[in-house]
Amino acid sequence: MDNVITKSKDVTLLEILDRVLDKGVVISGDIVISLADVDLIYVGLKVLISSVETMERLRGAPFAGGQEEPN
Amino acid sequence: MQAAKRSRISRMGIYTYAIIDSNSKISSSINGLGGAVVYNIPYRNIGIVVSESEHVQDIAQEHILKHEEIVEKLMEDFTVLPMRFHTLFNQEKDALLMMKEYCGDFRENLDRLRNKKEFGVRVIWPGDIKRNRIIDAYKKSNAGADMPDSSSVKSFVKEKFEEYKIDKEFEEEADKYIALIDNFFSRWACEKKIEKLKSENLLLNAFYLVEKEKEEDFKEAFERARDICICGDLKYLFSGPWPPYNFISLTKKTLHQRLSEADMFGRISPEQNLLNKGML
Repeated sequence: MDNVITKSKDVTLLEILDRVLDKGVVISGDIVISLADVDLIYVGLKVLISSVETMERLRGAPFAGGQEEPN
Repeated sequence: MQAAKRSRISRMGIYTYAIIDSNSKISSSINGLGGAVVYNIPYRNIGIVVSESEHVQDIAQEHILKHEEIVEKLMEDFTVLPMRFHTLFNQEKDALLMMKEYCGDFRENLDRLRNKKEFGVRVIWPGDIKRNRIIDAYKKSNAGADMPDSSSVKSFVKEKFEEYKIDKEFEEEADKYIALIDNFFSRWACEKKIEKLKSENLLLNAFYLVEKEKEEDFKEAFERARDICICGDLKYLFSGPWPPYNFISLTKKTLHQRLSEADMFGRISPEQNLLNKGML
């Protein structure tokens, strides 16, 4: 994280959340279940809900300057 | 009450951070989530980096940052395929089963992403102002042409058609900007992913995969883009280098599927070849 060029901590956090919560190697549940006896626990909904809230909060500052986007 | 009770349930498991292009032990001492030792579970010539962890249901920001920190540490020494946050297995043998299932995919991705890093470029534009300008210009060009129309159906169709034309012009303007910016950055990238107008003001959310040797050139390009202000009234947000989160592509082909496909076409796949030689 030291390498991140972006200076704002908020933007950096937003970028991290965007990647860590939503990208990378995503093992498909049905494939895993079909392997039999592999119990993959993936906390999806709870994390995603909190991340969306965080992103919305962060997005207000660096992206839209605290203003609502026009409809 | 029941939910609160459930949120406290935890048990030990294997927390996964990344797939790496090595089956060796991790030389440096790294502590992962909860301070647990991070280690590599080898599978053939690759490995999955894990730590023992509780299946904790209450996720905090520090856990997410820790996950990223570990992946970035691994990136210093290995090619990494970061796992999505909070991918857990009950035991090592379950993680190994997954490795067996996805081994071909992981190898292909590790080969493709070797010595490459991801950079992010977000471009903000005053989309609301741009749209209002288009609407104003449209109104001016139609001034005097408005005829009283008694038919509500006709006026509805006319209104929708106007909206369509305004949207189209707005998108065309966005496309012009995006083409200029993307052409500028693409020179240093070997792969890219572009997301257009995710919101009215977020013109571009782009990810570029850059070879390590071009990393400094790409960073300089960032600075130049800022200095020369490509397209004037835009705001640039740059980030990187990142592990290649946005460039992992799993086809979900298992070894069994690969062998079946090869059989269908009467070909001998590399895997079949190794199998024949008794190396798998």
